[in-house]
Amino acid sequence: MTGEIAEFIIQALREMNYDVEDLTADTDLGPAGLDLESLALAELTVQIEDTYGLRYSDEDTEALAVLTVGGLAAELAAKLAVASGDKPQ
Amino acid sequence: MSAHHGAVVTGIGLVSPLGRKPGAFYDALLAGRSGLRRPEQGHPAAGWLDVAGISPEIDPLEVLPATEVRAVDRFVLLGLAAADDALADAGLVVGRDVDPRRVAVVVSTGGGGLHTYEQYAHARLERGRPGVSPYLLPGMLSNMATARIAIKHGIRGYSSSIVTACAAGAHSIAEALRLIRAGDADVVVCGAAEAPLHPTIAAAFTNARALARGWDDPVEASRPFDAGRNGFVLGDGSAVLVVERSGHADGRNAPGHADLLGWGASTDAHHPTMPRPDGEGAADSMLAALASAGLAPADVDYVNAHGTSTKLGDVAEAAALRQVFGEQGPAVSSTKGATGHLLGAAGAVEAVACVLAVARGAVPPTVNLEQPDPACALDHVRGSARLLTVRAALSNSFAFGGHNVSLLFGPPSTRRARLS
Repeated sequence: MTGEIAEFIIQALREMNYDVEDLTADTDLGPAGLDLESLALAELTVQIEDTYGLRYSDEDTEALAVLTVGGLAAELAAKLAVASGDKPQ
Repeated sequence: MSAHHGAVVTGIGLVSPLGRKPGAFYDALLAGRSGLRRPEQGHPAAGWLDVAGISPEIDPLEVLPATEVRAVDRFVLLGLAAADDALADAGLVVGRDVDPRRVAVVVSTGGGGLHTYEQYAHARLERGRPGVSPYLLPGMLSNMATARIAIKHGIRGYSSSIVTACAAGAHSIAEALRLIRAGDADVVVCGAAEAPLHPTIAAAFTNARALARGWDDPVEASRPFDAGRNGFVLGDGSAVLVVERSGHADGRNAPGHADLLGWGASTDAHHPTMPRPDGEGAADSMLAALASAGLAPADVDYVNAHGTSTKLGDVAEAAALRQVFGEQGPAVSSTKGATGHLLGAAGAVEAVACVLAVARGAVPPTVNLEQPDPACALDHVRGSARLLTVRAALSNSFAFGGHNVSLLFGPPSTRRARLS
């Protein structure tokens, strides 16, 4: 599941013209890595909400900026598990 | 006027149906070449317009970083490309050659990013809210050519966009002179960009019965002041001038193409789309420009008319020109015969033509002006270019809404003149 989610995130970033060639799970979304600015975070959030049926608060969106790609995938997987009633491992 | 209070054009950039190089653009105008053609398959206006003035494509990656191109409308790209070229032509780097706070930018548009807006409106209908990118607003708002130029070049003085339909470009250049005369800027990046070649706008102008129709050969469709004219031809493109306080240009030993001598503006207060038939509003803006420049009508050697090739508009402008200049007025031509009507960008592109008329000492003919309409009796330049020492060139722009703007250009007041 996390692998699929990571692939979705990478594809969303690619469509936003970010360079994903050398991306790893450890790449920061923030200034130390991809340096996503506010509109990019907003766009990514819209894609996540639309694809996975989740809702992100403003705080949730801002919090994305301090995650890595892998961190975001893991967090998203956890949110989805909660949403579906499963307990995250 | 002392040289140090003059406003001089030190940089020119344009993206036009006659190309992106100012020199080649003016050569084509002088040669009477048309830039009009039928939109080919694959162009957004194909099947919607018989003929258009189509400017070169601008690769978004040429003018913006890859991560900033999403949802950016063509008018913004056109404005950026012209501004980049104009600053390069002026040899001016903001921050190196001028204090960023003493630089202003006024690059306007008539319609802004309507095509991009429409694309996202379709996406919303198909996918709901998630179909609409948050990048839409900075991609399509009418101030975004100005804003992106300021961001890219680090311009931190006054900035705005003036939304007056087909007078937007001329208004923006007038604003440059106002800012420099007021002492509010040393350099103003000014002009306009327009990208109206898409189906909804094409349909609106077609249904307004404003466009030329029935011409088998697209290059014959735009024929300002000709007896056979039956409407205008839509075009897209942009033009940007770097207008600089003469003393500032001399201080960095920059040569000038021409001076911006004066501007005038007036309003018809008559009808949303039709000009006053007596041409009084147009005459008022020309007289105001002459007063602003401290010139008499007899000082003007060339008029680049608004001359769109519509039945009513050309007659009203001719009447206005005769009111201002009398029966023995200056040489007149409309470059819209060659470029079509670039709406908000038209005044900026035609300001470039006036600057180069002054610099080159030659004025272009009106393309397709074969049989001048007797109701438009003027000293038309037609058939071929005319060699002429241009002491002052007047450019007219008249808009839907009744906005009238006139600009005057003359020889440069800088120590060095540019060989354009």
